[in-house]
Amino acid sequence: MLSTLQPPRSLTLLPFRRFHGSKTIASLASSSPTLDASSVSPPQSQILTTRRSLLSGETTASEIAKSYLSRIRLTEPQLKCFLHVSENVLKEAQEIDQRISRGEGVGPLAGVVIGVKDNICTEGMPSTAASRILEHYRPPFDATAVKKIKEMGGIVVGKTNMDEFGMGSTTEASAFQVTANPWDLTRVPGGSSGGSAAAVAANQCMVSLGSDTGGSVRQPASFCGVVGLKPTYGRVSRFGLMAYASSLDVIGCFGSTVADAGMLLHAVSGYDRFDSTSSKQDVPEFESQSLSMDSFESKPLKGVRVGLIRETLEEGVDSGVRSATQEAASHLEALGCLVTEVSLPSFSLGLPAYYVIASSESSSNLSRYDGVRYGNQVMADELNKLYECSRGQGFGGEVKMRILMGTYALSAGYYDAYYKRAQQVRTLIRKDFKAALDHNDILISPAAPSAAYKIGEKKDDPLAMYAGDIMTVNVNLAGLPAIVLPCGLVEGGPSGLPVGLQMIGAAFDEETLLKVGHIFEQTLKGSGFVPPTLPNVA
Amino acid sequence: MATRALLAVVTASPPRMIQIKASTFSSSLKFQRHITTLARSFSSDTNPSVLQPPDVSRLAETARISLTPSEVLRNVELRFVKSLTAIVFVVLVGKCRFGQLQQVDVSSVEPAIRAEMEGGNLREDAPETFENRESIRASIPSFDEVYLKVPKVLNKE
Repeated sequence: MLSTLQPPRSLTLLPFRRFHGSKTIASLASSSPTLDASSVSPPQSQILTTRRSLLSGETTASEIAKSYLSRIRLTEPQLKCFLHVSENVLKEAQEIDQRISRGEGVGPLAGVVIGVKDNICTEGMPSTAASRILEHYRPPFDATAVKKIKEMGGIVVGKTNMDEFGMGSTTEASAFQVTANPWDLTRVPGGSSGGSAAAVAANQCMVSLGSDTGGSVRQPASFCGVVGLKPTYGRVSRFGLMAYASSLDVIGCFGSTVADAGMLLHAVSGYDRFDSTSSKQDVPEFESQSLSMDSFESKPLKGVRVGLIRETLEEGVDSGVRSATQEAASHLEALGCLVTEVSLPSFSLGLPAYYVIASSESSSNLSRYDGVRYGNQVMADELNKLYECSRGQGFGGEVKMRILMGTYALSAGYYDAYYKRAQQVRTLIRKDFKAALDHNDILISPAAPSAAYKIGEKKDDPLAMYAGDIMTVNVNLAGLPAIVLPCGLVEGGPSGLPVGLQMIGAAFDEETLLKVGHIFEQTLKGSGFVPPTLPNVA
Repeated sequence: MATRALLAVVTASPPRMIQIKASTFSSSLKFQRHITTLARSFSSDTNPSVLQPPDVSRLAETARISLTPSEVLRNVELRFVKSLTAIVFVVLVGKCRFGQLQQVDVSSVEPAIRAEMEGGNLREDAPETFENRESIRASIPSFDEVYLKVPKVLNKE
């Protein structure tokens, strides 16, 4: 059965039985990012809140949009999450308000304010992948994921900062600016989708799209204290996502709650004829996983088998991260899960295999940026010189390094030793995961070996930065879905630094991840993961 | 965090594992020279090409990327050499920060192109017209109706 996008449903058809507690959109008008700092109730879905408030007439899409734009204006000088803010936000919001007032249907994402990572094409809006070689480039088309968001009434508020072409873990490799972590402005937000994660954490947008090739959605989610969802490879069309490593790339979702990340995923999932690697698997109704707390039994996850990956808690992981992970495992046990330790023997091979595959594929994918058909051109008197200078001056240092690494690994005589061998290791990694997931419903691990580190700390030590990807790359090699959600705080910054728990599922089993994640989040004690108010912001 | 790199040199005979600390080298060039020395000591007639450290200028030429001798780009070259040699030579049978030393036998393992392989996603070989040609044209840096202008190609002799 073809999985197709559900036709946009009008607000009037949607039931509201699941919404727990009430929160008015009026509170969004305050410039403080601490939306529910004083509340003890679990975090609420912003998508559902928006839907309810628009339908009941409590507020309008224009009011919501204005409050977000104003908060962006106030906080951007310190955070620098956005490379471009859309000029059409108010116009699109007004259109939604007009449709509602005429009694016409609007889509399930109507009025939802969404950030989009800058390597995802948005028609008419600059899409640069944070690279000088694409400075000022405006694509002639929307990525399929963006097209679906717009069809459902979502408002793309802007394009978020990232490491150039997805190569990096901090946004320090952006050609334009470094994004600050809303929890501590001297620290990195993670990467490469750092802007998208930080923007959600700082409430500059409700949800956002990122991309994940080796952990680029999950690691920043952990660093910024938000939910990051990496779908199964093939779940979401890559059409319009500027390719970094075609066998690893996926588009992922950020939200302040598991429910929001799941609803955004549902909106952008589905087979797309423009992406030959997109899957025809059914897209389940992820939204039905957002059960209200009242319906929870005392052990709502009874019987769920959870495997804690032994190799992720060994030497090199910060003690704070280790204890937060172990506490998360205990929390899952308290909810009824059966938590055991599992071993993935091929685990440590993932990092070198990943870097060979990713750099090889990127050297091929980035050959299209030659200054001829789009992007910045450096004119020369000879064609090869034009290529060399346009690319030499347009690409940043990290990008050049990875292209050259890939060129090397794919050179004649080396292909078997490096690329082919890495592909064979990929098979081993897939087998290990499959074996572990035959005996467990999900696997868990930290998302990164530490919490967010200081800006500049790892910039000159690429090996140390690469080593930080150890928790996440294997999942991309195996093509599996994974979600990261905040599970604790460690010391650092003005109010502590968030740490995320990674849950990995079987292929196309995002449903289980969302169900377990949602229940974990809703039952976690504490006042929610809200970064401290920014200095100089009222 | 200390970074450690393990050298695994792929040769016909079983590889010898050597553990070195990348941070013990005061400069990347020393690091590269060390690896070159080790590589030469394992030299085998059957596969000499595998043991060559990367020739940065040749690679840059292949990738059509200019690396000028300016200060900034010298850093790129050095960082590149350090990272590439460490990472690529570490490849696949190495000890990373986690996990024990492992010898991996991949002789009977099928390479995986990507994770899931659903077949049959081919379309009709029929062209479709893209509507928004104006927008495509607007992005072209040197356009001279109807040509994309590029300089001449000089063959290297």
